[in-house]
Amino acid sequence: MSVRTVLRDDVRNTRRSFVVLGVIAVLTVFVGLIVGSDASAHDYPYRALFDVSFFFFLALPLIITPLTYLAVAGDRDSGAIKHALGLPNTRAEYLTAKYVSRGAVAVVGVLVALVVGFVVATFAYPNAPDSVRFVKFGAVSALFALSMTGIFVAISSMTKARSRAMFGVITAYFLLGPFWLGFLPVVNLGTIIDTVTSTLGVTLTDQTMGLIQSLSPTVAYLQSTEFVYAGVLDNHEMLARNFQGDKYYTELWFNALVMGAWAAVTLTIGYVRFRVAELG
Amino acid sequence: MTCGALLVNMGAIQTTTLRKEFGDVRAVDDLDLTVEQGEVFGFLGHNGAGKSTTINMLLGFLRPTAGDIEVLGHDVTEESRAVRQRTGLLPEGYEPYSNLTGREHVQSAIDAKDADDDPDELLERVGLEPEAARRKAEGYSTGMQQRMSLAVALVGQPDLLILDEPSSGLDPEGVALLREIIRTETERGATVFFSSHILDEVEKVCDRVGILSHGELVAVDTIDNLRSELQAGATVSATLETVPDDLGLDGIDAVRSVAVDDRTVTAECTDARAKMRVLRALDDRGTVADIGIEDASLEALFDQFTGTGETGADETPAEAAAESTPERAVAPDGGGR
Repeated sequence: MSVRTVLRDDVRNTRRSFVVLGVIAVLTVFVGLIVGSDASAHDYPYRALFDVSFFFFLALPLIITPLTYLAVAGDRDSGAIKHALGLPNTRAEYLTAKYVSRGAVAVVGVLVALVVGFVVATFAYPNAPDSVRFVKFGAVSALFALSMTGIFVAISSMTKARSRAMFGVITAYFLLGPFWLGFLPVVNLGTIIDTVTSTLGVTLTDQTMGLIQSLSPTVAYLQSTEFVYAGVLDNHEMLARNFQGDKYYTELWFNALVMGAWAAVTLTIGYVRFRVAELG
Repeated sequence: MTCGALLVNMGAIQTTTLRKEFGDVRAVDDLDLTVEQGEVFGFLGHNGAGKSTTINMLLGFLRPTAGDIEVLGHDVTEESRAVRQRTGLLPEGYEPYSNLTGREHVQSAIDAKDADDDPDELLERVGLEPEAARRKAEGYSTGMQQRMSLAVALVGQPDLLILDEPSSGLDPEGVALLREIIRTETERGATVFFSSHILDEVEKVCDRVGILSHGELVAVDTIDNLRSELQAGATVSATLETVPDDLGLDGIDAVRSVAVDDRTVTAECTDARAKMRVLRALDDRGTVADIGIEDASLEALFDQFTGTGETGADETPAEAAAESTPERAVAPDGGGR
């Protein structure tokens, strides 16, 4: 009952701001452009999904930042939280509703963008888009959106100042994305592990390194998209190079587990902190 | 048996050696406070005295550093949800959800409390126009926001109303409406905890007051009793056609001092009940053309208890009250000193 009330209020309050419209518009425009522009270089729309997956990997967490970082911290900063928690709503119900509300908007943004991408692909490519591949891609992308939303809402629940929430969310994005995958030059997870292991005089096996790499939700997301290209990787060398692993940590179930675990664990930590937070 | 009946003879709010510290700062210092069921209790204090911190602990927003709090028979630290189910809160200085209408805020409270109130009736009761109630709250003035928050607080006929600076931003009509609502709520048995620094307003609506200073409760009583405690009493002035040599006031113990200015006699009484005896004595000895009576204001009491008036830091409130009276120009018998 209380989750539903807080959820309804938050959805209404968020929906009427420009944030929801902005998130959906930005995702839709970029996905439409990527799918459309790829048509000039590729014959099959699934190739565009690969480029969209990298766009989501790099940009989706940033695009949903304005939707998530103030989910709880904004209410604490403005005092609006006293409306919700002055009523007989528990903090667990409040946080759950916030996550579901913001996660739903993120998922809707991803799915609307992909529907538009599918429509663009229908007209732009010589070969019709495979709806099953789009559905599969939509499913893992939605899971990725829920994972990052969970992490960001959790960070929001642990802070009471807007600036700290923003700093925490941006830091989490860089650590779990560019840093973890090695996009950042010189300082990234790989170079730090190399430095530590050489200092200690130990060597990590490729399998251990692969496992560590797979523990980020962003990397897990990229790996999880392999099943979208089922049946075509053998004919597409460039795509296949990105999915060469056959270890358990490259499988869909493991990657889905990693994404889900990040949301669940960070939200649990966030709740433990928020449960005793001073709201004065 | 109703919940209200269960609370007969129990405090609606009971704190025992309640303390709250923020680092080195002790915001609330061993507060022992009992607010009786059905009374309107005024909670007074300067900014930073600890009023809002206390309210935040009553609702479970803040955890006490030490001490116990029971609200409506529930331990707040363990059962804050049960407390909030039966409490209506008007918080101070908060922003409502900017994109929700006033009506939606009230509906939210109705749903959360599983109450059967009509949001439009509640909004009408607090004087928020229907057109305004359907607008987003981000455009509300402070007064409109206060009215909306009051409607939220009234949802579910709460046993306890906690109103934190409820008069802020209200126009005189709104203040009068607030008083009327408080009177109606107490008539049906609700307890009202009224925190404010607008002393005039507190004096008009509260049965008892508690004065908080630097986190400590320095006084709790009815305003009349506080006046008596400070011997602040009242001031009676009478304009006589001719001033007799013997005013006949020396036999009245409660007269602290008498001053004569032209044809006006002003008597300071330590007990407000002595006012009529003073007037009768003067009327016996002369023709009274005009009178004036002024009880010691709550503001004066507040200043004396909190040491913020002209009171010296080391003085007791009673000493301060005595010193704050006008110069003792004449003795009670009318003779000069």
